[in-house]
Amino acid sequence: MTDLAPEDAARADFYALLARLWHSGPDAALLAAIAGAGEMVAEGSQAELAGAWRQLKAAAAAADAETARVEHEALFVGTGKAPITPYASHYLVETGRERVLVALRDDLTQLGLKRDQASFEPEDHFAALCEVMRHLVAEGSSDVALQRQKKFFTRYMHPAYNPLTDQVMASTKTSFYGYVARFTKAFCDTEAASLDML
Amino acid sequence: MENSRKKSGRRNFLIAVGAGSSAAIAAVAAKTVPQKEAAAAKKDEQGPGYQLSEHVRKYYRSTLV
Repeated sequence: MTDLAPEDAARADFYALLARLWHSGPDAALLAAIAGAGEMVAEGSQAELAGAWRQLKAAAAAADAETARVEHEALFVGTGKAPITPYASHYLVETGRERVLVALRDDLTQLGLKRDQASFEPEDHFAALCEVMRHLVAEGSSDVALQRQKKFFTRYMHPAYNPLTDQVMASTKTSFYGYVARFTKAFCDTEAASLDML
Repeated sequence: MENSRKKSGRRNFLIAVGAGSSAAIAAVAAKTVPQKEAAAAKKDEQGPGYQLSEHVRKYYRSTLV
């Protein structure tokens, strides 16, 4: 992607990482990679994202893959109704879940995207939304591409990320995923603010 | 131009919070992601997005370990 600005390449990678972490528990290699990744350098008053990243790195260094996997399952999968739902449409106040899914599928079709046949997750899983954003960001840094990202983020991710990450952070059953949620929130706050500048 | 002023404002903001200058940081972690598992969305190769799909395949390849 020659026309991808460095900051957008970074965003695509963070979306990829979030998609992976929300989709399922990390394996040992991923934990080691996060723990070993570099620090983020932020200017004084803008330290939340960098702080959340530092804490996630520390949590990854301390975490055990099997424990993190069980934690992910206990929080988001569960038998019957999971304690915390990772499906974004649940957090959108408008209409019913089915109608949100229909609208989302229409938007994905327009973007030339569809669900992977091998995936059993509906399209509104938070990991899937992160994956769509990653794709849209990787498409380039043109005005058209940025507006497409802004539209999708505003419509689907923005209403969902605060209630979802707040619930995870408030849960007493988390250890590693509390840090994932904090970083996700800080990253999405950054996204919301930066896309708002366009 | 108004547009480029907005875009540079956004870029400066991303760099100030640390997100803009850290491509290498996230890449380290993103490289270990098995994309087939994470990918809940994928190109519809028969659909109107066909022209973009080679693009995406390349991108996916570039992110595989």
